[in-house]
Amino acid sequence: MAAATTPEDLSRLMTRIAAGERAALGQLYDATSAKLFAVCLRILSDREEAEDILQEVYLTIWRRADRFDSGRAGVMTWASTIARNRAIDRLRARGPMAYAEQVDDLQIADGAVGAEALLVTAGENGRLQDCLAQLDDRTQRAIRTAFFEGLAYSALANRMDAPLGTVKSWIRRGLARLKGCLEP
Amino acid sequence: MNEGPDLTEAEAFAAEHALGVLSADERRQAEVRAAADPAFASLVDAWRARLTPLAEGIAPKTAPAGLWPRIERALPANDNTGRGAGFWRRATVASLSLAAASLAAAVMLANRPAVRVQPPAPGQLLNASLVSPSGAPVPLFVAAYDPARKALIVTSLVQPGGDPAHVHELWVIPADGKPRALGFIEPGKTKSMPLPQGLLSSLAEGAAIAVSVEPPGGSKRLDAPSGPIAAVGKLAKI
Repeated sequence: MAAATTPEDLSRLMTRIAAGERAALGQLYDATSAKLFAVCLRILSDREEAEDILQEVYLTIWRRADRFDSGRAGVMTWASTIARNRAIDRLRARGPMAYAEQVDDLQIADGAVGAEALLVTAGENGRLQDCLAQLDDRTQRAIRTAFFEGLAYSALANRMDAPLGTVKSWIRRGLARLKGCLEP
Repeated sequence: MNEGPDLTEAEAFAAEHALGVLSADERRQAEVRAAADPAFASLVDAWRARLTPLAEGIAPKTAPAGLWPRIERALPANDNTGRGAGFWRRATVASLSLAAASLAAAVMLANRPAVRVQPPAPGQLLNASLVSPSGAPVPLFVAAYDPARKALIVTSLVQPGGDPAHVHELWVIPADGKPRALGFIEPGKTKSMPLPQGLLSSLAEGAAIAVSVEPPGGSKRLDAPSGPIAAVGKLAKI
């Protein structure tokens, strides 16, 4: 893996991938697969399913590379969104029982990530975590559970054993405060 | 902490969509709205960008060593290049000789010894003749499933040189009803389209094969055709 893969490097790879260069997809895989695999694994808690979804994610990247628009999103945002959506689709396909399980504690990296971890958006990540940490515990939990499990409001209210309207207002207020914190 | 003003209705909806708390119905509404309203779409983009670092806060996990070769094998043939004028000039074979070529391909497949058929494939050769959903029952495409190569061999019987502004995208719709794109097929060409691992087990007699007419680059949707269906057929045992 390259020592430092910048967002610009990733963007250039996307151009080559859109031109049909397999080697460029291989380089993107080297640079991003550990992060995207972690996302799939976090959402699905099942290695085999996470591997299947990760394969789908890179096939989707390959097929959709020509639609990637660097003016709209960074490569990591774009690819992570694909990974999260695919994994959540798989989770939903498991049926309602999947939501009966308890959320395990989130494993948030402590920032001591190795060089190979390639945190291309380390700055943004740190800021978001700081801002989240300023929200009350319930709101943080609601936002994280929604993000990692694709739980709709109604399922989230069940999970958190709180009225629907209350959960909605936690999340809306939480999101408004996050925005205020990220863009003071 | 800066309290931040309350979000406008549009922004709250965009944020909720990016976070994933909307119901299936509301998600569809949000997608329709994003497609029609660029201002709303950029709100969604901005919220995705804000929230994505959550995913990046997870400790990276190295994917298993065998996964990349598996992905590489599953990559459809490169359809992203060569869509210039040459692409269409190359597609010059007359449909009559193509019908003969597809027949030859079918014969070649049929002559394969049965022992070479591997599970988890359906275990036998399947083929489909794709016809216009509304028009005459004349085959426009012929598809044969080759279990040994884990690929669909597809022949386009469409006269080349017709419409350079569109491409023909091939879809497989297994029993779950969800279309999976396999790639593009040029008018007048025969092409072997590798099937993704996840699709092999669900590919069986009765699965539908369809071709949609799409703008260059393929369907605008991730999981379904965005253009009209030009031809459709079902896989059946030879």
